[in-house]
Amino acid sequence: MTQFDEQASQGLFEKNLITENQFQEIKEYRSLNIFSLNVELKLLLSISVLMFTSGIGILIYDNIDSIGHIALLAILFVLICGCFYYCFKNSKGFQKTETTTESHFLEYIVLTANVLTCIFIGYLQFQYEVFGTHYGLATLVPTIVSFFCAYYFDNKSVLTIAVTGLAAYVGLSVTPQDIFNSNNNFYDNQSLSYSAIMLGFLLILWTVYSFRINLKTHFALVYLTFALHIISIASISNMVSEDIIWLLFSLILAGSSVYFYKISHQLKAISLYIFMIVYAYIGINIFIFRIFEHIDFGDIWVLFIMILPVYFIGSIVLFIKLIKNFNKEIAE
Amino acid sequence: MIVHDKNLLNNLFLTQEADSLESGGFISKEQKKIIRNQLPSFKIQNNILVRLGFFLLGSFLYSSICSFISLIALSGAESFFKICCFLFAGVGIAGAEFLSNSKYYRHGLDDAFILGILLNVGGAVFILTEDFETGLTPAIFVAIASFLTYKRYLHLLSMLVFCLAGSAVLFFGLFEIGDIGKTILPFVAMLASAGFYFFTKQKIKNLKEVYYYNGLLLANSFCLILFYLSCNYLVVRELSAELLGIDVQPGQDIPFAYFFYAFTFIVPVVYLVQALKTKDRVMLWISFGAIAFTVFTIRFYYSVLPIEAALTIGGLVMFVIAYFSIQKLKNKESGLTFKPDRINHSTAILNAQALIVASTFGMKPEVKTESPMDFGGGGFSGGGSGESF
Repeated sequence: MTQFDEQASQGLFEKNLITENQFQEIKEYRSLNIFSLNVELKLLLSISVLMFTSGIGILIYDNIDSIGHIALLAILFVLICGCFYYCFKNSKGFQKTETTTESHFLEYIVLTANVLTCIFIGYLQFQYEVFGTHYGLATLVPTIVSFFCAYYFDNKSVLTIAVTGLAAYVGLSVTPQDIFNSNNNFYDNQSLSYSAIMLGFLLILWTVYSFRINLKTHFALVYLTFALHIISIASISNMVSEDIIWLLFSLILAGSSVYFYKISHQLKAISLYIFMIVYAYIGINIFIFRIFEHIDFGDIWVLFIMILPVYFIGSIVLFIKLIKNFNKEIAE
Repeated sequence: MIVHDKNLLNNLFLTQEADSLESGGFISKEQKKIIRNQLPSFKIQNNILVRLGFFLLGSFLYSSICSFISLIALSGAESFFKICCFLFAGVGIAGAEFLSNSKYYRHGLDDAFILGILLNVGGAVFILTEDFETGLTPAIFVAIASFLTYKRYLHLLSMLVFCLAGSAVLFFGLFEIGDIGKTILPFVAMLASAGFYFFTKQKIKNLKEVYYYNGLLLANSFCLILFYLSCNYLVVRELSAELLGIDVQPGQDIPFAYFFYAFTFIVPVVYLVQALKTKDRVMLWISFGAIAFTVFTIRFYYSVLPIEAALTIGGLVMFVIAYFSIQKLKNKESGLTFKPDRINHSTAILNAQALIVASTFGMKPEVKTESPMDFGGGGFSGGGSGESF
């Protein structure tokens, strides 16, 4: 919107909201006519990494019996070594805080190296059963490698892989497209729910500990996002169960909502806050429904429909207030 | 006929500028706060998640009001079914007017009511005309309604609905003509979108009021997309099979196949070059989409390479392109550059990267022979467990 950009800063200047110096500086910067391809090229890099590693994955899976195993393993191994060599050479080494690197490619090479390592280990297990029947171990080893890479090279993408690996180890599928589908049958499988909630709890504990020793505190948002979704979804799925146990899960959901209410204010993370509200709202509605489920709806459904608009208006007013408060508090 | 206060609309424009200047480091945070306090503003939600949440709540409210009305009316008249959609559209208009007058704009709640109006107008016309064959009349009415709601509420999604409904009118109108209409459909769509592209472009150029900019830009981009799709080989071939019943035998091809092939290849490149030349970011993204769709078009008919080789080589090629582009651009200070723009740097897409990675490479428990690769149910990890057990 070229013709309007100037107009906007001009408008601010005319209303005496920015100083003359600032206005000149902005004008000068605009006259450079910058068109940055930063986001586009970075996106291209990550898509290329996704495609390349996916291609390698299928290639190896399809040719498991045709090309010599040793040859395949050797090629993969050389590739991994090359990637890691680049990573170690270009990184600044382990640091406790968020690091910035000179190299624009490091992030993507780390991701490639890590995914290739996972494929390598998976291939070893599939073909040679290195870990025997300890299938858990075959998940745990790539997870540990991923955690190491994530912390050493300070890479959030790899960290998410590591957390999904950890969840897979306890039997959960927490990839975004799977978290609601039948793999996680919380409803039929109560022990899975307990382990999910335990995992979420441990992730929260780990962030608390990390804050105490100042270790990669910017990773907290990733951990907390996973923890919030895992705990909330597990509790909500169990709140509809027939068992009396649903009361316990309601309590867990209430507790986690309170915790995430506080922590989202602390971290100024609106994404956590919103999802917390959404899950809490769903939880409250299920709770109300459960309380009233023994009443015969045949008699009062007319009343029910009449009250509904009022109920929604009430919720909207409440939400507007909650969001307003949050925005006010993080602005301070 | 804009319902919103024009002062507020101009203020919105200024505060948005202040936001981007603050994130670019030109002005301080305190200064931004002062600007925000000085300029009265709408009740607006900039966070997409919050807006989506309010949209959902607004839809719940809307539908609960509608069910309330139905409850009362159903016991009364038999003909209620005929007019219910008009009533519901009236509810939508009342809600949208009320929200706009209380300064809600791009809030989510107003989105729900305005889209509700359009939905119900379409439904009402559909029920009245019982036009189940062509869909032309509802499309015309929805187009008119969405244009009016855009003009009144400056609602961007209405503009999108208007574009879609407008193209639907064009298509359905040509279907009415019969086989000739269906045959010339791609060319008519191409010419129409080209015409509207230059029309909207001219409008943008002579635009005085800033608040119309986004709507016109949306229409402009829509024309670009429609122009590419209108003569894309895949679209034309599948549509001619669908509409005219042309069954393409092996060795044969659709009429004017060479034109469509050439079009499919040339247009994305033209877009890309033009976007880089005129520094037009929206066009750049459309060109990326068009290139991807061209690749898909080719792979849809010709399996040039097996999928794994295509992915591996494609990934390598893209990496090399990105590598050399970055090397070339990273030290440039002006014009085309790799340095993040201080004013319009959007990190939202880069933040979404972790999410994309998690959904592509996330490990899953049930495949015991650890295969971290899963292609969204590509049948790869699923088959993995079969052999070893």
